Amino acid sequence: MLGNDLVDLKQAARESNWQREGYLNKICTPAEQELILSADHPSTLLWLFWTMKEASYKVVNRLSGIRSYAPHSYVCSGLIFEGHEATASVNFDSYHFFIKAVLTEEMIHSSAVLRKEQLQNMNIHYLSNSPAYMDDFNQNCREYLLSKNLAGLPQITHRRTSKTREASVSHHGRYTAILYSGLPYSGSPQSAG
Amino acid sequence: MDKEELIATLKTIVTPYAQDPDALAHIHEDTDFIKDLKINSANLVDVVLDVEEKFDIEIDNDSMAKMLTVKAAIEIIEEKLASDAGE
Repeated sequence: MLGNDLVDLKQAARESNWQREGYLNKICTPAEQELILSADHPSTLLWLFWTMKEASYKVVNRLSGIRSYAPHSYVCSGLIFEGHEATASVNFDSYHFFIKAVLTEEMIHSSAVLRKEQLQNMNIHYLSNSPAYMDDFNQNCREYLLSKNLAGLPQITHRRTSKTREASVSHHGRYTAILYSGLPYSGSPQSAG
Repeated sequence: MDKEELIATLKTIVTPYAQDPDALAHIHEDTDFIKDLKINSANLVDVVLDVEEKFDIEIDNDSMAKMLTVKAAIEIIEEKLASDAGE
């Protein structure tokens, strides 16, 4: 199970005034707020935390079927930057997420997974945001087919083996990001259970 | 304030953030802020803050977690106003 979230930084700067009174308090813990306010680029850190929380929420929502709006309860910790990437953890209720994020001047994208090893086996496609993103993906990707399942949730099918698994899609501003796990390495032993 | 007035006030509040003009024009009790009005989830915080300012109430995290529809927002506003009046 995985979830993703993308923020177009230019769009966010137009849409959201996160400096308004009370805003940070509603979505970030005191520790997160302290990191944001002491950062060289506070808005970058805010949107990084935000995408981490949203990506994690998408997994919780899929597993539980419950919708809620509780960004404050998704607690980010252990943030480590490595070039244009970052890793961190998010805790919510009894869930523990492993996060991998990508930061550019234009956008931030976070992926959330429940098993750490999934981080090593993820495919992320960035497309321009358009209503035809699914066609765009399918015309450009020879290996996989993107579709929606009966519940309207995105899924990915390996064209050769027809194996299907869930995908996560996030749109914002100029971008669409599609996240899915790759197939297990061929020849690797599979447990029967 | 009756329900119609509350919906009208909520409509004014969500107008700057709603990205579906048709859904906004026909806003009703079962309208979903994100699914119907297409409000960006980062702007739902603004809706919560605007509701707090407009009605002079405090929306705690548990209430905010439920505030995804017009109906839920009305319930939260009415509950907070009633508990404020009782103090």
